Amino acid sequence: MEEGGVNVIDLTQADESFIKELKELGAEELKECIQCGKCASTCPMALAGLEFFIKRIIHAANLGLRDILLEDSSVWGCQSCNRCVEVCPMDVVPYEVIQAVRRAAIKVESCPANTYEGLRNLYKFGHAVFPKGFEERRKKVGLPEKPPTALSNEELLKKYREVLRQTILEEIAPFPLD
Amino acid sequence: MKKIGLFLGCNIPLNRPDVEYSARYMLKELGVEIVELEGATCCPAYGTMPSLDIVGWAAASAWNLAIAEEKGVDTITGCGSCYGSINEAKYYMDKHPEIKQKVNEILGKVGKKYEGTATHWNFINYLHDNIGLDTLKEKIKYNLNGLTVALQTGCHNLWPSRAFPHTEENVFFPTKLKAVVEAIGGSAPNYSTLTDCCGMGALRSNAPDKSLALFKKKLEVIKEEINPDLCVTGCSSCLLQFDAGQALLAEQKKINFKIPALHIVQLVAIAMGAEVEKATAMASIPLNGVITKIKGGN
Repeated sequence: MEEGGVNVIDLTQADESFIKELKELGAEELKECIQCGKCASTCPMALAGLEFFIKRIIHAANLGLRDILLEDSSVWGCQSCNRCVEVCPMDVVPYEVIQAVRRAAIKVESCPANTYEGLRNLYKFGHAVFPKGFEERRKKVGLPEKPPTALSNEELLKKYREVLRQTILEEIAPFPLD
Repeated sequence: MKKIGLFLGCNIPLNRPDVEYSARYMLKELGVEIVELEGATCCPAYGTMPSLDIVGWAAASAWNLAIAEEKGVDTITGCGSCYGSINEAKYYMDKHPEIKQKVNEILGKVGKKYEGTATHWNFINYLHDNIGLDTLKEKIKYNLNGLTVALQTGCHNLWPSRAFPHTEENVFFPTKLKAVVEAIGGSAPNYSTLTDCCGMGALRSNAPDKSLALFKKKLEVIKEEINPDLCVTGCSSCLLQFDAGQALLAEQKKINFKIPALHIVQLVAIAMGAEVEKATAMASIPLNGVITKIKGGN
C-alpha cells in the first residue's frame, strides 16, 4: 500500500478452498475468530507496523484472500512469540494461522530467499543459523573450534539428514538433498 | 550430583560463544555436571521446519530430545527459540499420539526413539526453580553491589505457557529473572515495556528497519524510566539485539546512549568469578564500567 493511500481489497478474489487448505495445514480453529482484536493489541508485527499483522491475517484468511496473503511478506516477519495464543479468548491459536499461511506460501515458492538459506543450512550443517568465522570466535573463549553438535559428528549429521529427508522437506526443498 | 544436557542451538556456539563459555563456567560452579548432546542440531528455528509442517517440526525437535533421553538427562538452553520451538514440538507430540507415532516411524529408521521423558529447561527457570536462590547466593564471589539492571526475559521464555514445563505466575508480568538478579545483589526495577518484544528474529531478518525502530522504542523507555547500568536477557537472540543491535542504532545516530548488555548466564558467571575477557569476548558495547562496579564493591 502507498503511504496515505487506500488499500482496496477486492472480495471477488475470495477463494473458499484456501480456508480449507489452511485448516489442513494446522489452522484448525480459524473459523472461531470473532475479530475482537485482542491478539493485535499484543502483536509485535502490529507494533512494528507491518501491513498484515495477526488480526488482519486471520481476517484475510477467513475471507479466502489467497493471492493477497501469499504475495504479502508480512507472515515471514512474525516473531513466533505466541502472545496471540496466550490471549486469544476463542482459542483460535492464531500463531497456527500464521504458520499455515507460511506452509501454503512455501508450497508455491512464495517466501523470502532467507527462508531457503535457513533450510539449506539446517540440512547441510544441522544449524539453520550458520555465521562465518565461528571457529575464531570459539577459540577466543577457549572452546574447541567446532561445538559438540552435529557439526562435530559426520555420522550423526548424516542420520539427521536422513530424518529430514523423510519429512515434507524432501518434497519442497528447492535444493538437492543428497 | 546434578546432571544436565547442554543444548547449544546455533547462535550461542556460533555467534556468541562467550555465552557458551559462561554457561559452562556457571554450571560447573553450581556443581552441575554437563552432559554433551553429541549430534544435536538447530531446535529447529521457527522459520525452517515449523514453517513447513507439524510432523517435520516435531521430528527435527524429537531428534534432539531423543539424544538427551538416550543419556537419561534433561536439557537446558540459553536461547529463547530453542526453548520455545522444542517445547512446542514436545507439546504437540505429547498431546497428539498420532504425531508422536509418525515422528517415531521417522526416527526409527535411524535407530532413534522419542519417549517424552526429558524436560527442556531455560536458564531462568533452572536457576530459580531447580538450583534455588539460596544456593545461588552461596556460590557468588562478587555481589552485584546494587547494580541497576533492565530485565528482558524474552518472548519464547514466556509464551505459549501451555507448552512450557515451568512458567511464571503471571506471564505478562514475569518475576523470576528479577528474583535471580536480586538474589546476587542487583537492583531490577520494573519498567512499563518490560514484556515488549526486542524485535530480533524473523522481524529483524525480514523487516530490519521496522525491527530496529521497535527496539528503539523499548530502549528509550528503559533509559527514561530506570536509566540502568546494564540490560540482562534470558535469551541469546534478545542479547544480539540489545548488544549489537543497540550498537548499530547508536552508530546510525538514532540513539545517543549505549547501555551494556549481558545474558543472565554471563552475569552470573562473572559474579562467580569467571574470566571476564572470555565471558564477554563478543560484546559490542564495552562493559568496563559494569565490571568495575561489580568487582569494586567487594
